[in-house]
Amino acid sequence: MARAPSEELAGAGPVPRPPGLLVLEGVVAGYGGGDVLRGVSFSVPQGSITCVVGPNGAGKSTVLAAISGILRPRRGDIRFDGRSLVGRTPREILGRGVVQVPQNHSLFREMTVRENIEMGAFTLGDRALARRRLEQVMEMFPVARERARDKAGALSGGQQRLIEFARCLMLDPLLVILDEPSMGLDPRTLRTVFATIRMMHDQGRTILLVEQNARAGLRLSTHGVVLENGVVRLSGSGREVLDNPEIGALYLGGGISAGPTGQHPAGPRSGHEGGSP
Amino acid sequence: MGGAVAKAVVDGVLTGGVYALMAAGLTLIFGVMDIINIAQGILVVLGAYLSYVLSQDLGIGLFLGLLITIPSLFVIGVAVEWAFMRRLQERERTALSILVTYGVAIVIEGILELIFGPNYVQLRAWYVNQSFHVLGFYLPYIYVFGFALAVFLLGVLYLILYRSRFGRSVRASLQDRAAARLVGVNVERVSTITFGIGIAVTAAGGMVFGATNAFNANSGYDLISRLLTIVILGGLGSIGGALGAAVFMTVIEGLVAVLWSPVWATLVFYAALVLVLVIKPVGIFGQRAARAQ
Repeated sequence: MARAPSEELAGAGPVPRPPGLLVLEGVVAGYGGGDVLRGVSFSVPQGSITCVVGPNGAGKSTVLAAISGILRPRRGDIRFDGRSLVGRTPREILGRGVVQVPQNHSLFREMTVRENIEMGAFTLGDRALARRRLEQVMEMFPVARERARDKAGALSGGQQRLIEFARCLMLDPLLVILDEPSMGLDPRTLRTVFATIRMMHDQGRTILLVEQNARAGLRLSTHGVVLENGVVRLSGSGREVLDNPEIGALYLGGGISAGPTGQHPAGPRSGHEGGSP
Repeated sequence: MGGAVAKAVVDGVLTGGVYALMAAGLTLIFGVMDIINIAQGILVVLGAYLSYVLSQDLGIGLFLGLLITIPSLFVIGVAVEWAFMRRLQERERTALSILVTYGVAIVIEGILELIFGPNYVQLRAWYVNQSFHVLGFYLPYIYVFGFALAVFLLGVLYLILYRSRFGRSVRASLQDRAAARLVGVNVERVSTITFGIGIAVTAAGGMVFGATNAFNANSGYDLISRLLTIVILGGLGSIGGALGAAVFMTVIEGLVAVLWSPVWATLVFYAALVLVLVIKPVGIFGQRAARAQ
């Protein structure tokens, strides 16, 4: 039986939220002249799976770029574990325990799977620790061990995604950020990928993901944030967001739903996306 | 005839090794930074002149002098990167880099011409003048020494790229800059050092070039044409491809010169380029476009 995260959440909705592990406050950011984010505020509670959804161009990926230090916000603050991340380099942010798996395939195609995973520990000074982590990660991801010597470019899209997950775990992160983890995957691979996200969550990591596949993403998540035109339209528990009729009509309606049961908008824990890892 | 063919092949392989070294620097810079360094040819000439000054004026041997010229060109490379390359917009970098490095080349050429005048010079040493007998022909020692130097430095380059942490960050940047940033590679620093290394190899290439050819400040043009041909044939960004293409082209050139005519030899060099660009634009030795290792 799948352990649907929403079950842990049942009844958690009205309870005052624990202070966020990651807190965005009035973040204004963009590329070139324009602002994509126009004052984004939300928090990612410790131990949550928080899913950011919204239409194309809402600023979902920009939020992630700002958090991981690739894009510097013009205004506002991003705090992780109480300390600001604004102005820190991607490397320093990795050092704080925040890692990101980007949307596009980001493995080094000409390196072996093993080398790719080792690259995850690039900023880690301690080689013995990196070796131990590699062993642990290989244990977690059988595909990594089986294909260790193969060039990463030779793997299927789903396998590459799993190796990207494996790579991001090399730093034993506190917060894992996933940009559209479901993109381009067939339903079966999608289940494996979502199951892996749950596994990382069960290990005590906080997960922040951006999903185009809003319904599936929110079902997986304990918390949801709806972004629209560079501002937060709604945030709450995953259920609250899923159940919100207005949001449902806007973003979760037929077109973008890939859930197995499109007919009930509440999406009551069908939990089909994942089996146990 | 058999002896001449053998000589053409041996010459080609030995010269090809040195071209491979110079081309490796060029293709490495392109691979990591998307920059085509047109100044690579004149920097080879600068390396040759530096060796010339050290040996003529200070009496420092050509090979010993490399301990000075290689670091000097590394520093020049880092300075050029800092002054010009990092200011290029990422989006139009390749096209702009051709113009900017061409400008750099003209400035260096002008300075060299001002200092050394238009006369051709050649580096002198006993191993440049003396030859030994092998396979029925005489071969100047410098060809063998130069080849050994190229193999040694390519070996060092290989060890840096494949056996060091820095090399790993170079290969990561070569394959995917954005992903490299996300795992904590300082891509800007890697670019600067890579540019320095790519230029530093011209010191060694320049020394061997200056010992095997008479040169003046204008010799850079012929060199950059050959080097560009080699890196394109090898597949832009592919070091292994550059090695293969360098040896392949110099051997072909030597064979055409012997079997046909030296006039045709140069033409064949560039005809091969046109042919390859028409038939297989990623280069004969390139597996995929650009970013292959």
